[in-house]
Amino acid sequence: MYSKKILEAINKEDVKIGGRLHIVKGGTEYEGILMPRPESGDHEILIIKQDDGYNIGLRYSGEKISKLPSMERKTAPNKPKHATASGLPRVTLLYTGGTIGSKVDYLTGGVKVLTTPEELIGEVPELGDIAEVHVVDLMHTFSEDITHFEWGAIAEAIENAFSSGSRGVVVAMGTDTMHYTSAAISFMLQDPPGPVVITGAQRSSDRGSSDAFTNLACAVALAAEGKPIGVGTCMHAGSSDETCVFIKGTRSRKMHTSRRDAFRPINSLPAATINVLTKEITYSALPPQDTHHISAKTGFESKTALVKVHPNADPKILDYYTDDGYKGIIIEGTGLGHVPVFTQHEEYSWAEAIRKAVKKGVLVGMTSQCINGRVNKNVYSTARTLASLGVIYCEDMMPEVAYIKLGWLLGNYGVEDARRLLNKNMVGEISNRITYTED
Amino acid sequence: MTENKNDIKNYSDLGFMCGLEIHQRLATAEKLFCSCPTHGAKETTRLDPEISRYQRAVAGELGDVDRSALFEEKKRTRFVYRVNNEASCIVDLDEEPPHGMNNDALAVALSIAKSLGMTIPDELEPMRKEVVDGSNPSAFQRTTKVGMNGRITINDHEVLITGMMLEEESAGIIEKGEDSTVYDTSRIGIPLVEIDTYPYLRSPSEAKNVALRIGLLLRLTGKVQRGIGSIRQDVNVSISGGARTEIKGLQEVNTIDGFIENEVKRQQALLALKEEAESRGLGDPDRVIDITARLHSTSVRIVANELRAGGVVLGVRIPFGGGLLGREINPDRRLGSEISDYAKMGGVNGIIHSDEDLAAYGFSESELKEVRAALSVKPGDAFILIAGSKAKVYVAMDFALQRVSMVRQGVPLETRGVLNTDTCTTRFLRPLPGGSRMYPETDLTPINVTGDMLARAMTDAPNPALEEEQLMKDIGNAATTQQLLLSSYLQLYHNIASKTTADRRFVANVLLQKFTELRRAGYSVDVIGEQRIVDVFSRYSSAKITKQGVEEIIKLLSKKDASVDAAIKELGAGRISGKDLERLVEKVSAELQDASPELLAKAIMSKHRLNVDGEELHLMLKRLSK
Repeated sequence: MYSKKILEAINKEDVKIGGRLHIVKGGTEYEGILMPRPESGDHEILIIKQDDGYNIGLRYSGEKISKLPSMERKTAPNKPKHATASGLPRVTLLYTGGTIGSKVDYLTGGVKVLTTPEELIGEVPELGDIAEVHVVDLMHTFSEDITHFEWGAIAEAIENAFSSGSRGVVVAMGTDTMHYTSAAISFMLQDPPGPVVITGAQRSSDRGSSDAFTNLACAVALAAEGKPIGVGTCMHAGSSDETCVFIKGTRSRKMHTSRRDAFRPINSLPAATINVLTKEITYSALPPQDTHHISAKTGFESKTALVKVHPNADPKILDYYTDDGYKGIIIEGTGLGHVPVFTQHEEYSWAEAIRKAVKKGVLVGMTSQCINGRVNKNVYSTARTLASLGVIYCEDMMPEVAYIKLGWLLGNYGVEDARRLLNKNMVGEISNRITYTED
Repeated sequence: MTENKNDIKNYSDLGFMCGLEIHQRLATAEKLFCSCPTHGAKETTRLDPEISRYQRAVAGELGDVDRSALFEEKKRTRFVYRVNNEASCIVDLDEEPPHGMNNDALAVALSIAKSLGMTIPDELEPMRKEVVDGSNPSAFQRTTKVGMNGRITINDHEVLITGMMLEEESAGIIEKGEDSTVYDTSRIGIPLVEIDTYPYLRSPSEAKNVALRIGLLLRLTGKVQRGIGSIRQDVNVSISGGARTEIKGLQEVNTIDGFIENEVKRQQALLALKEEAESRGLGDPDRVIDITARLHSTSVRIVANELRAGGVVLGVRIPFGGGLLGREINPDRRLGSEISDYAKMGGVNGIIHSDEDLAAYGFSESELKEVRAALSVKPGDAFILIAGSKAKVYVAMDFALQRVSMVRQGVPLETRGVLNTDTCTTRFLRPLPGGSRMYPETDLTPINVTGDMLARAMTDAPNPALEEEQLMKDIGNAATTQQLLLSSYLQLYHNIASKTTADRRFVANVLLQKFTELRRAGYSVDVIGEQRIVDVFSRYSSAKITKQGVEEIIKLLSKKDASVDAAIKELGAGRISGKDLERLVEKVSAELQDASPELLAKAIMSKHRLNVDGEELHLMLKRLSK
């Protein structure tokens, strides 16, 4: 955003953002294209793109601006045209936001979704050999802004895609909360008839090194095969552009802020790997091949909370939720599933707050902030005490997944069903066996 | 350093245009956008972790895709990054956003901008320059314009500087294979300044002098890296009717004029070829024909090897092209070599063409007859053959024919690299990039240039005139002063001068003359390292060693990774002086009774050449003889 002073000066001369201008400042002449000013910058600075491509910033203090005719754009060779081959399986690409599946318009700073198959294939030509991609521009939401309302909309859109003949569905989204979405969709859809592959990019697609292209191509390849592998995330397996991994939606977690291989399978192994070059897919184990009719259950109890325990944590936080009418709380406890109970400083003991919550009918579940491994209610007396107070130990389920499962159970079933089902496996979120891995 | 007036006139008549781009690495402690060190990392080995990536051309800020970017993408190379964890972090691997811009690097850049009289923008806008040859894992180079419209005066002629950029160094190549290139990550992100002149340099020697002068300015900051690859010059050259050719990566400033002269000759030769092609009516190449069957039992080794590996041979006729491909356009370079360079981009080893000595390849007369028949070659035509795997030959032939069709255009727009530094010849690297590959670095915020930053830049701005005056005062010899000013040892000289009291003229002479002499005699003086050289002079100035000792110790250090004190001990080069020298004189004079002072000096020096300072001995003998 430019200041009022700058806007007035450029409007007076009919210079538009993206148009050429001339200005003399401090005895130096400048010519170039007026670029947009990002929201956050100094509003009195004019950003000019010079003819060598560099942008420079000039503080505007009333100098004369004049309009110049736009230079004829040199025509660069267009990207080679690719068409979709005929007879390919139909895949729906649901676009929800994030940099994947979109293109930055550098002139306006806006993000443009690649909605037509032509545009999409123009950027990721290999898609044209894999599937007939049908793009649904569902929403443009940063993943950190997504709520259970959006999860419901996505689940319904997936259901529609399958009922209108798609063999698989790819959901393109921002990566921050991708694993929450993958868990929510896993519960909402249960066993979808084909793959539901959620993908994104850790490097924006405006750079030649972006992982968006390969992630998208691998996700579409997996969706096009149509195996009923359920819901999961598909991202880079490592830092190299070699393999992408499909991880079950309730087992995937973002474990790095920026690396391409941020998404890791927790307490499990990847369900499938896809070779980036050949698009060859290797499944680790296939579920039964029967197809299901799906009917999305999209209810979600918003009065559900996820609470992290730490030394010195004030148990009154639980009282707040209990008093505010919350129906369920997942605790991210320490170690095998603990909160302070036998502390010498009574004001730090969580026992009373938990007893009060349970008494009021709040479902309280226990998970571990270790992320990896299983909670256990028998090893230490702390856990035995908590279990006797009515805390439900959630096995090897990740805290975020337990939170989503509890909200979903409370939103679609009665409290008693929710209590019974919370620590029983439904869609692969819990397993009886954790096998040994080297890293 | 004087420009020849005739030279300037002659080049002006040719429509000579020439500009320089000088790239210099800065010697900051940390990299430009992360906290990795900028030097001192061990070399990587095959045991270090490797990451492999692909890159693709994406549109520039204004929606254009750059032609050189498209060209690189078409090659579809796999880029392997060998990770040097001592010198790089995941910022360098494009796995973490950049940290803020390094303040020291920016301060150095601003001081250079001031010294060149540049205008500095009020706000600096970091940009991404798309580079998809794999040399940067992010597929772009971060670059920021820090100055514009500078000038430098050379022999009373003002040379205009377009601008200066502060940018990231790229990765160093370890090996380049047919389908993949291996890079070392340690260099990525070291700060680099790029200084560009307007294309109005008037002759090759003027270009060289400008490079020398800017090099001096950079060294005077005291903050630039030295050694191989730390400074690189690119030159842009064209003549009337020709086209802008960019020659990249000249490391030796003294060859700049030679490369420019040859580029002018190359363009003249290509223009002559163009004329001849037009007058002959050189047509489009014929259809490409697979002639594998005709050569299935050939004894031409390079073809037979490819066929054994399942490859094929393609051939094409070039109507009226006979004789053109063999025409020399630069020392030891023919039009055929240019076409071959293009074909190599397709991953093959080169081409075989009809202007070569085909018998020397091992072709029999009957084979050649077969080939000519298959391609319908008539007298006056030329032909090209390419052998290789099926996946590559068609792409390679496509590239080769692109170059053939450019013969009628004269000089193609190209980026060229050094082929041979002795003959100053170049080879095709890629099409010349257009200007549309820049877009804002959105992971960084713009930098407001404050009054404090400008004031500091003013104070720190290198001043060559003042430097020259000071050196002249210290050294007292105009020729040595000039030589030192333009030498890469200036920074080391200052380092020695600031840490020792060694005679300045002696220091300058050792660095300039003695080092050159020793290097020619096969001593690798450049591996000694700055600290050990400073130590040598420090021992000299504290009378621990003699001038003779300095030379011998330097010889030893160039061959051995020993400390200076260890070297003194090993050579027995400790200086004998004062009372010890007196005792030595007494002892020798007792041995050689009644010897003249001259004879005594000779006797002592012949035995203790390394240990005794001639002047001290002379004075002592004079004193004793009284």
